[in-house]
Amino acid sequence: MSALRSGDQPRGQTGKSTGRITNRLVALSSAAVLTIYAAGYLRTRGAAAELQAAERPRVVIPPAPAAGPAIASSVVIREPTPTPVAAPPPEALARKPRATAPAAGSPSVSPTIATPTATPVSPAATSPAQSVEPPAATPASTPAATPPPQISYKDGTYTGWGTSRHGDIEATVTIAGGRITSALISQCWTRYSCSWVAHLQGQVVERQSPEVDYVSRATQSTNAFYYAVVQALSKAK
Amino acid sequence: MGTIVTIEVVTHDRDRSAPAIVDDAIGRAFEWFREIERVFNRFDATSELRRLCDRPSEAMPASDMLYTAVEFALAVADETAGAFDPTVGAAMERRGFNRDYRDGRVVSSGVMPNAGEPASYRDVALDPAARTILLRRPLVLDLGAVVKGLAIDMAARELAVCEHYAIDAGGDLYVAGRNAREEPWSVGIRHPRRDREVIELLRVSNIAVCTSGDYERQGSGNQDPGQLAHHIIDPRDGQTAARIASATVLAPTAMLADALATAAFVLGPADGISLLERHGVDGLLLTPTLERFMTRGMPSAILSHA
Repeated sequence: MSALRSGDQPRGQTGKSTGRITNRLVALSSAAVLTIYAAGYLRTRGAAAELQAAERPRVVIPPAPAAGPAIASSVVIREPTPTPVAAPPPEALARKPRATAPAAGSPSVSPTIATPTATPVSPAATSPAQSVEPPAATPASTPAATPPPQISYKDGTYTGWGTSRHGDIEATVTIAGGRITSALISQCWTRYSCSWVAHLQGQVVERQSPEVDYVSRATQSTNAFYYAVVQALSKAK
Repeated sequence: MGTIVTIEVVTHDRDRSAPAIVDDAIGRAFEWFREIERVFNRFDATSELRRLCDRPSEAMPASDMLYTAVEFALAVADETAGAFDPTVGAAMERRGFNRDYRDGRVVSSGVMPNAGEPASYRDVALDPAARTILLRRPLVLDLGAVVKGLAIDMAARELAVCEHYAIDAGGDLYVAGRNAREEPWSVGIRHPRRDREVIELLRVSNIAVCTSGDYERQGSGNQDPGQLAHHIIDPRDGQTAARIASATVLAPTAMLADALATAAFVLGPADGISLLERHGVDGLLLTPTLERFMTRGMPSAILSHA
């Protein structure tokens, strides 16, 4: 398989690919991953042990209730990585992993910004009830993995909080006749407008669940609302 | 990187030993992001990358991580004839200067004695036996796209003990197994012009998904530099790459997906798809007018709407 050499212009090739297929880059990237992983393996082992001892915000997303035998739990850990700005962040200069772990782990995820009067039960806060010990991954209730649309929630109005690096969102979800009738942003404490998630409010009702797992290139934008709805729904079991 | 990293692991009740293993794996996965930051942070004078860039014309011994990442970036540059070029930062400075002089055309070195020929990936030389990297001239090595994917790939290796997980670093992803609803992970692609919308929904598993886009992000003040919406430049001629608004690539590694998404973005619809097909990966390219260009295998990854 000949690679394009320097100076070759790829123009003139059509989109119809009858030409050769090369696995050079696929193979190279896979080999690179193995090489780098092996090289760093021991170092990260030692660092991870120190990290375990450090406080780290954790969110356990209780699975939505539904009929069915299987039980699945989703453990979501979110951390910001150090931000490179003109002045290097302290984490970059401190060589020891221990220094980076708590610093990176704590502030950005907790709702420090403009705390509303009603104290939010933010999943990222250190509320021990949320920061579950691994064995409790099997929660007390009997939820299951697959929520079909005909999930029956308990009627009522429920609130939940979700965080993002730009702030928090409270969602208020209304259940009537066992179904989600509305999922509204009741408090928007993000630095930037919540209008960009406004369309998600209707989607939750349409789909009777938060449907999209991730949005490429906009994760933090949708996370806060998504988790707020999830938390609200968890109370409606 | 300044990115929020989200790791989601799905375990099932029947996996009794899972939780402790999962916790351990997640810890190590996050540590990789920090480790890679330490090596590749251009703004940190003590990072290995910075030390390399501060010593041009000197063959510098490099760690496995730095050497391998540079080697990979250069291979992509070679395969794309410079449509992807990790030295593009320096090239832009030079070409901007040159372009002022003559109607946006790149001038040859004779006309502007101070500027000379812009730097390119050809100015980086590797010695595999000595494991050294030589910058033949001062240049800016920007490995941002490559190392974000690399960090995801490292995290994915740590999490390989789990069957079902998703790693998301600022919207570039690796997903494995199935989500909590026991379906393939659903991944949305942002609409390049209406960023409140998802333009396409993918159902994927055991694959990396990376997107290059030209669209402005909401509140772009504090963003990860790799995701800023300033124009993506074609390193070969210094022109703004304007034929693609959004390039999404699915590949076995995030490193590869990231690099090829960047290259395809520059190459445009026909050449971009051709590049992806030639390397056996799938992708979806969207033009500014929202025309879709897809590799042959791409439609099967797209969730069809009812």
